[in-house]
Amino acid sequence: MKKNKKDGTVMIRQPLKTRIGRQKYLLLMLLPGMIWYLVFKYVPMLGLGLAFTDYGFRAKVSFVGLENFHRLFTSSIFWKAFRNTIVLSIYNIVFYFPIPLIVALLINELKSFKAKKAIQFLIYIPYFFSWVVVGSIFVNLLSPSYGPVNTIIKAFGGEPIYFMASPDHFRSVMVLSYIWRQMGYGAVIFIAALTTVDPQLFEAAMIDGCGHWGRVIHVTIPSIKSTIVTMLLLNLSHVLMIFEQVLVMYNSAVYDVADVLQTYVYREGILSGDIGYSIAVGMFTSVISLILVLSTNKLSSKLLEEPIL
Amino acid sequence: MQNKNRIRESASRKIFNIINKIILALVCLAIIVPIWNVLITSVAVDADVMGNDYLLVPHSFTFDNYYRVLHSGYMQAFKNSIFVAVVGTLLSMVISVPMAYALSRQELIARGFFMKVLTFTLVFDVGIMPFYIVVRSLGLINTMASVIVPVAVSTFNVIIIKNYMTSIPPSLVESAKLDGCNDFVILIKIILPLSISILAAVILFYFVSYWNRYFEVIMFINDSRKYTLQVVLRGLMFEADETLGGGNYVYNNTKMAVMVLGMLPVLIIYPFIQKHFVSGLMVGGVKE
Repeated sequence: MKKNKKDGTVMIRQPLKTRIGRQKYLLLMLLPGMIWYLVFKYVPMLGLGLAFTDYGFRAKVSFVGLENFHRLFTSSIFWKAFRNTIVLSIYNIVFYFPIPLIVALLINELKSFKAKKAIQFLIYIPYFFSWVVVGSIFVNLLSPSYGPVNTIIKAFGGEPIYFMASPDHFRSVMVLSYIWRQMGYGAVIFIAALTTVDPQLFEAAMIDGCGHWGRVIHVTIPSIKSTIVTMLLLNLSHVLMIFEQVLVMYNSAVYDVADVLQTYVYREGILSGDIGYSIAVGMFTSVISLILVLSTNKLSSKLLEEPIL
Repeated sequence: MQNKNRIRESASRKIFNIINKIILALVCLAIIVPIWNVLITSVAVDADVMGNDYLLVPHSFTFDNYYRVLHSGYMQAFKNSIFVAVVGTLLSMVISVPMAYALSRQELIARGFFMKVLTFTLVFDVGIMPFYIVVRSLGLINTMASVIVPVAVSTFNVIIIKNYMTSIPPSLVESAKLDGCNDFVILIKIILPLSISILAAVILFYFVSYWNRYFEVIMFINDSRKYTLQVVLRGLMFEADETLGGGNYVYNNTKMAVMVLGMLPVLIIYPFIQKHFVSGLMVGGVKE
């Protein structure tokens, strides 16, 4: 029996050499991409080794062991950046994450197909604007001299607030601009998932006496839970790496609340040239981010009985 | 009794439908109004913006601001942006499409391994510094190539194309094989014409990602003549802002003209390929 099986596999699987020969064009097509991945995604991983050196200041690079990590754990600027990153991440998950799902459910309630299409078209637009454009739009909206938000505040007798330079408001600006830009992207993906929900399930729920909202909670949401978890995982893999949005929108007046791990890495590494140390900070961030994503994946695979990644 | 119940529910449904429409209308307004303001301010005459109003209704119409912008230093940045986006998108497609096709073929040797090579980069981001060192050691710093080649492939886009191509019946490929076509011919003659909608979506994704790049440009490029529009716009909006205390005062209509240029590809391309775009994304995006 065992022998037969072995024979069987030998018969189907030709020797590797023949298979490579037959697939030479396919492999050739794969080659440029794989070289790109090797050079720009995997070779940089070797660069993480520099976290254990003093690379940057001297011509001669020497091994310093865990000194960079010791330095970062005792640096108050590092801890401030760490705290800001965590706070912004929590804000992002709590305030941003549910919104695309809610908007998708609301759009799904519309009866007119045309209206559904039109709204999807519209809310997707900001996703294609750069952070510079989105940041500039918020500078306009929140300007203390002409921004409509401050005009409203003044109309109610309040003092105009310079939101972009106010440590008390900067985080809200970050979250709101994030919602403004990303909401449509998430919503469109959820709407696509909603169209795959089996209508028979609705009928069954109706026969069981489920009301409209009962159906949303007991049928719709469970049907798209794997999409919800996928989106959550994607979000989690980005939150700690938040960078460009902050880099565009922050200024020295709000460093205390705005400086995140990646902007800290950028300043230490590119602007100050302290490369070994900045790689140590970056590595810390990447590893924490990886742990966060993998543990969520593990948790979700228990919940959904299938891993997403 | 049951009838009464149904009537009550439909009444509450009606109220909900009205509230729902109001909420969605507000969401739409929140998106339209700021973009509308940018558009009409960019065509307003100086007198309309001197009072520092947030324009909601157009008072004047002039292309002077665009004329001013395109006859100034911004023109170079605009050209650089176009160069990076066009050349970059071409390079990205030339690498991504064949790679996606190879990965879509189930019989590919070590297919699982190659897929792992791609997907691992989605969960593990090595960060900016090691990436910077690689780009620097390749001698790319301060070249236009530095904002194209190191970011040429997006794993997402490759997976979207691959998923779409996987959904094309393999029998088409098999029969072409029997006719003696090699994989390059199959890709160009059979697969690409069937993948137009997904390719349109990915071209938009790539084009916009190059157009919008900001931090790679300031990280890799020191020569201000090589700056792209986004870098110049950031300087104009955030650093020359009078309230942040710096630079010459630039009227808002001129700023908004630069901003419209910064949003240009989206405003032009998106409406045209939106139809392809949504249908393409459906297949690829839901389950990657």
